[in-house]
Amino acid sequence: MITIRLKCFSQVKYALGENEIIFELENGVFTEDLEKIVRKKAKGKLDDVTLSTAVNKKYISKNTELKDGDEVAFIPPVQGG
Amino acid sequence: MIKVEIVGSSITPFDSNDNQKEKGAELIFNGRVRGTEHGKKIRMLEYEQYEDMAEKELRMIAQETQNKFPIKDLLCRHRIGGVKVGETSLHVSVWSKHRKEGLEAMSFFIIELKKRVPIWKWAILENGEKIPSECKHE
Repeated sequence: MITIRLKCFSQVKYALGENEIIFELENGVFTEDLEKIVRKKAKGKLDDVTLSTAVNKKYISKNTELKDGDEVAFIPPVQGG
Repeated sequence: MIKVEIVGSSITPFDSNDNQKEKGAELIFNGRVRGTEHGKKIRMLEYEQYEDMAEKELRMIAQETQNKFPIKDLLCRHRIGGVKVGETSLHVSVWSKHRKEGLEAMSFFIIELKKRVPIWKWAILENGEKIPSECKHE
């Protein structure tokens, strides 16, 4: 088992009602697997939202295997400025 | 020189000065909060950041901008937390030898910031309700 810290921002926070969620997952889970879990948990509220992925505060472009202790964020469209 | 900061209170503008001998262009951009969002009046915007990652990404974009355009300095302050209508949320100052590269650098920097820096806006409506801002940057 691995422990993953999910950080929630903007629409993800709004959809899940949490700032942060800790997941206990099987070994061999990838970022896209976790995104599916998160979208399911949001019960449709994220269906139209494009999410980028960050692992340990760095954008990643490829489906990446998660390691114990990773911090993940699914990043909705950003709005700085 | 590059300087980027994320601040939690009113933005103090970077110093302007008359002692620069080789920098012929000083460009300043202030992004301010508008009073309406999609036709609804708002009290303020509340900016949320992904702590550490937002400043790191901002610094990376500033560095890329300086590598791409022959500018001398790029200085940026981005505010987070509550920002009232009319107040500055983003302050950028670019110094360059000539205006052309300064204007191009300013435009590139702000476009990339709006694409990549993990900062979001929540709109605080007049009735106090807080909702994710629908503001999108194309």
